[in-house]
Amino acid sequence: MTANLAGDVTMRYVDLPPSEPADAVPVLLLHGFGTNFGMNWSAAGWPQALGGAGLRVLGPDLRGHGGSDKPLDEAAYLPERFTADLLGLLDELAVDRVDLVGYSMGSRLAWELALTAPDRVRRAALGGFGPVNAFADADLSAPGAGDTPFDQVFRTVSGLAGNDAEALAACARGQAARPFAADPAPVGVPLLFVSGARDTLATGAEDLAARCGGTHVEIPGRDHANAVSSRVFKQAVVDFLVG
Amino acid sequence: MAEDNTTFTLPDLGEGLVEATVLEWQVAVGDRVERNAPLVEVETTKSAVVIPSPTEGRVVTLHAEENEVVPVGAPLVTFAVTVSDDAPRAGIVGKVPTEEARPARRVRLKPPTD
Repeated sequence: MTANLAGDVTMRYVDLPPSEPADAVPVLLLHGFGTNFGMNWSAAGWPQALGGAGLRVLGPDLRGHGGSDKPLDEAAYLPERFTADLLGLLDELAVDRVDLVGYSMGSRLAWELALTAPDRVRRAALGGFGPVNAFADADLSAPGAGDTPFDQVFRTVSGLAGNDAEALAACARGQAARPFAADPAPVGVPLLFVSGARDTLATGAEDLAARCGGTHVEIPGRDHANAVSSRVFKQAVVDFLVG
Repeated sequence: MAEDNTTFTLPDLGEGLVEATVLEWQVAVGDRVERNAPLVEVETTKSAVVIPSPTEGRVVTLHAEENEVVPVGAPLVTFAVTVSDDAPRAGIVGKVPTEEARPARRVRLKPPTD
């Protein structure tokens, strides 16, 4: 686990070489809101699945999360601040291009990074993500107080060890300040969408995939919380990145 | 060479969690598994987790069905583990596992630069 200065925040990340050294494009894993690399990806078996396929894994804790700094100012969480961190990380590691694998908010940021710097992104796999507004009807001045799907997510993650509820609230407001738009879509970056069949936060993923020339894989029986560890998801991503 | 049966229980997954739901077995009865290979995918109230195999061995019994809720400490899998015949056994009930070679570290450790 290493940390570096990417702009205004110190970012913690891991850099995991593959089990079989290979010169494949590294994979940058972007976790979801309120989690971190270890919880979203490591515990769910992703480094093993990707490393076993000969892929180097780069796993940051995004700003406001895990072992990275947690500013309290919502402007620090605009999507472009995250993409600047990630480009800073790639520069620091002297990595020209990566494949992206995101989950939930991490997928939204993967889309943003592919839009901002298409020359740095070879392919992007977006898990647990669709064009619906994740913050619909939520009062972001007091996240967790209401009863919307986002309030429920917020209550769960704000209670996790190591999380800072105030930073997460600022993060939600920063993300919500730039509503997702399906147009323009990233150019020249093949996209894969993967989502649980019961994932309401990924509603519309199939249509979004069709609109931007991507493919969509559905994980039977899974919802937003439990699709991330699925073998179907991992296999779809490995096939997409290595196949 | 002989085989001993050893049963692995649902480990403490941290944060005060007392149970987990089995989502999907990654192994079947009769499979030979390597240590650290994916064993079972479980879901807690906090997250979805893949539990790696604690040992190399052959799967003898899976103690929970998919979608079943398992308390921490309850039996999860029984393995038949190969033991060498000349391994010291006298006076030991069960078996002291032989420590295997440490897996190569994949995490680079470097102190924070701040």
